[in-house]
Amino acid sequence: MNTYLRLVYRNLRANLDRASLFFELIFPLFFIFVQGFGINGIVPPFDIGNGRFVSYSLFLAAGAVTLTVINGGTNAGTQLWFDRKNGMFEQILMGPFTRAQYILSIILATLIIGVAGSLLVFVFAYPVVGASFSFTLGGGLLIAAALFLGTVFFGAFAIALSVALKSSETFQVVSTFAFFVFLFTSSVFFPASSAPAAIQAVSMLNPLTYTTDIFRAGLFGSATALTSVELAVLAVEAAGMFIVAVLAFRRIRV
Amino acid sequence: MMKGQGPVVKVQELSKHFGSNVAVDRVSFDIDRSEVFGFLGPNGAGKTTTIKMLTTLLPPSSGRAVILGHDLRTEGRKIREQIGVVQQQDSFDQGLNVETSMDIYGMLWDVPKTERRRKIEDLVHRLGMEEFLRKPTIDLSSGQRRRLQVAREFIHDMDLLFLDEPTVGLDPIVRRTLLDFFKERVREGLTIFFTTHILEEAEYLCNRLAVINQGRIVDVDTPENLKRRFGSAKAVEFKLLQGTSRELASSLSSFEGVTRLVEDGGAGVYRATTARPESVIPEIYRQAERLGLTVSSIYISETTLEDAFINLVTENHKGEPNGGAMR
Repeated sequence: MNTYLRLVYRNLRANLDRASLFFELIFPLFFIFVQGFGINGIVPPFDIGNGRFVSYSLFLAAGAVTLTVINGGTNAGTQLWFDRKNGMFEQILMGPFTRAQYILSIILATLIIGVAGSLLVFVFAYPVVGASFSFTLGGGLLIAAALFLGTVFFGAFAIALSVALKSSETFQVVSTFAFFVFLFTSSVFFPASSAPAAIQAVSMLNPLTYTTDIFRAGLFGSATALTSVELAVLAVEAAGMFIVAVLAFRRIRV
Repeated sequence: MMKGQGPVVKVQELSKHFGSNVAVDRVSFDIDRSEVFGFLGPNGAGKTTTIKMLTTLLPPSSGRAVILGHDLRTEGRKIREQIGVVQQQDSFDQGLNVETSMDIYGMLWDVPKTERRRKIEDLVHRLGMEEFLRKPTIDLSSGQRRRLQVAREFIHDMDLLFLDEPTVGLDPIVRRTLLDFFKERVREGLTIFFTTHILEEAEYLCNRLAVINQGRIVDVDTPENLKRRFGSAKAVEFKLLQGTSRELASSLSSFEGVTRLVEDGGAGVYRATTARPESVIPEIYRQAERLGLTVSSIYISETTLEDAFINLVTENHKGEPNGGAMR
């Protein structure tokens, strides 16, 4: 069997906590079915681009699906922490693997979790978003690109964070805080353009803004010329964070 | 497979520095095929750092090593494909039970499924792991976890096995089972690099021993030769009728002929290591008389590997401030 397949399979079997995964799926569904419908009555449909008007519940449902991208990212850091704490990090590196293969296997496992999680949430959210979703090849590619790049960014971010922090407990606290910052300064809950100037400025740097915008554009067929720019920015951010993670990973003391 | 017919491990002047701290200082040794090479040393002597370098986990600061015919600096992957490592620290997959953990470890090494099943069955039986086979690894005792670490390493093929204090936390019966298991594998052609604090283990298992102290190899020889050469000091064991005496212990410790004095379990039994028992025994009686104590028994015991080890390490401390290689 291929080296990466072996490592990814092992990461998925050994380091995934099923209970955590379950609640990571519940979390976005709670937003879709509770917050979305709760606020729907007080927010009129609005333009998300290209003259496409959607209800708030629909807007939030699409954003909540991309939440699983962040959850997948947290998993990357947790996988690395489990291996470091339990001595498996050194054990694997003393086996027939390279550091690059190990870190890539964590990213690949994270991608599987992120994309599979998003698909599951999408399936559960289909009663809300299904009516507005008409599949096109271009839209499908945009959705795939958003999920892929977003997961790479947040997986790499979590890896860099877990290398920098000295205990798994600190990692959990700091990553939760960091991901809340990403979440509330993105366009998951509200369009970035309607936020105050300071939040707008932060959201321009926030990869979750681009992940969510591109995902929505793919889902609702609302892509504009700006979507290509957002895709390019997200790709650069994901690549940059991946390089940071690799450099940080090389510094782990064994 | 190993290239050529030379030693399995050839280490020349290998060093590791962490900033200004020298963890391993120009160590050199060879290990032959089917040899058990022991690495003995006090805590912080550099044993684990040496293993980490030889298993390619840490890059050496200087020096050279060829392992199984491959250069340590340039052919790390090839080396790692042919070695096994049992670390001193625990290592386990926390989300799995013992059986699945062994199976996935074998899968990581690309061992075919049928072969994995056969080997796991054999190892579980040989190492007495049946009772905790379905137990989650997170719930294992330290001894059970250690057995798992050893067992899973034998699921894949290897030519050289690094064992970093593999019997820590094991009861004497399991420890002996493991040592006999290692011996059997050595007879089949395996080479072992073995570190331990338990000197009886080293004597039981190792063909040769390297004593390392403060990052430097003090000596390399067979256990018998080390005992003969550095165990020349005898141990005088005596017992006081009145039990322990701090005063007697203090005055004897400062007596010139005594290298080391230890009290055995608070029962008034003392063990004095000395090269000159003929002058130490009268001194024991003199001091006892002065303090109004009675020596109820006294005898000279045989040299142990522990005596030799302590002599080697303490001589090394006294001789050169930075240690010194002795051959």
